[in-house]
Amino acid sequence: MTLSCIIVEDLQVAANYLKNCCEKSGQVEVRGHFSNVTDALSFLNSNTVDLIFLDVEMPGANGFELLDQIAFSPKVILTTAKSEYAYNAFQYNVSDYLMKPFTYQRFMEALQKIQPSRETISTNSASDHIYIKTDGKLIRLNNDSILYIESMGDYVKFVTVDNKKYITHNTIKNLEEKVSKEHFLKVHRSYIVNLHKIDDMRENLLFIKGNEIPVSKANKADVFRRLNIV
Amino acid sequence: MKDLKTANAFVFNEEIDTNYLNSLYGDDYIYLQEVFGTVLQDYQSLTDNIEYSYSSGNLTALRSAVHKIKPVFGYVGLTAVQLQCQQFEQICGTVNSPDKLAGDFETLKNKIFQSRQVIEEEKKKLEIFNSNCS
Repeated sequence: MTLSCIIVEDLQVAANYLKNCCEKSGQVEVRGHFSNVTDALSFLNSNTVDLIFLDVEMPGANGFELLDQIAFSPKVILTTAKSEYAYNAFQYNVSDYLMKPFTYQRFMEALQKIQPSRETISTNSASDHIYIKTDGKLIRLNNDSILYIESMGDYVKFVTVDNKKYITHNTIKNLEEKVSKEHFLKVHRSYIVNLHKIDDMRENLLFIKGNEIPVSKANKADVFRRLNIV
Repeated sequence: MKDLKTANAFVFNEEIDTNYLNSLYGDDYIYLQEVFGTVLQDYQSLTDNIEYSYSSGNLTALRSAVHKIKPVFGYVGLTAVQLQCQQFEQICGTVNSPDKLAGDFETLKNKIFQSRQVIEEEKKKLEIFNSNCS
């Protein structure tokens, strides 16, 4: 089951970006976009939604005035370019506070905060990040920041979009169980790749940002199944 | 569908924070072209609002107008201009007359004007890039 939402935002580029994030997540259905509080209120007088993405500063009334006037209590995520509304946000019990522009990872973190209170939402969606232990500290890696993971004997190497390499004591077999199935796939006994980062595939090789990744015969069918081939 | 292309295939204007753009859109240059187009559609009304607020001497409205355009620069990777808007917003809160902002306003206005040219040029480059890739 997905969350229904509306977007109240007068900046078109911000509203479009938010819609795109909602669609990409597969967890949120956008029921409407309104560029002012009056139009949003008119919709909410005869409709309910689970969630409102709410800008604060808009022509006419501000976002908090909308919350004062609606008859039900949806979850609210503020989307603003100002950090000065934290106190109001606390008072209105908003779920999260996104500073524009925000990354998709940050958007997903905000959604995660809403999901635990909704028993109807599937709980099988994996986390959008992992922590790895390297150089004596725990480092958070968002799924979208990882290109691929390569086996190095008793160690594995995480290669990220900013071309950083993190080596940690682990195995591909163990990681296969732990990483997000939505993002990652084992393509070879020595490689797990981020499916969202594949540039192209030729014969038995995947190319990710100039890196050649071998695909084993045993895994090739899985790879084809998971790629969005049209 | 996400449009994946080879990294570093598109070279952005040096004023654009490529890493920041990458954190927002990955390698989706088709979507980026859309973003640049959307920003340009709204640009005139956003800048008109700034000009009008300043010329009418309304500091609150001026601060609000600059606040409104601020994230637009983030969406197109002009993070330095976004920061400049942030700083101007803060200055607005410290003065009681638009006259005291004249110098800062002129600097910001020029930057916003130049930024439009950068966005227009990048959009054209993206159109050519994407049409060559399709």
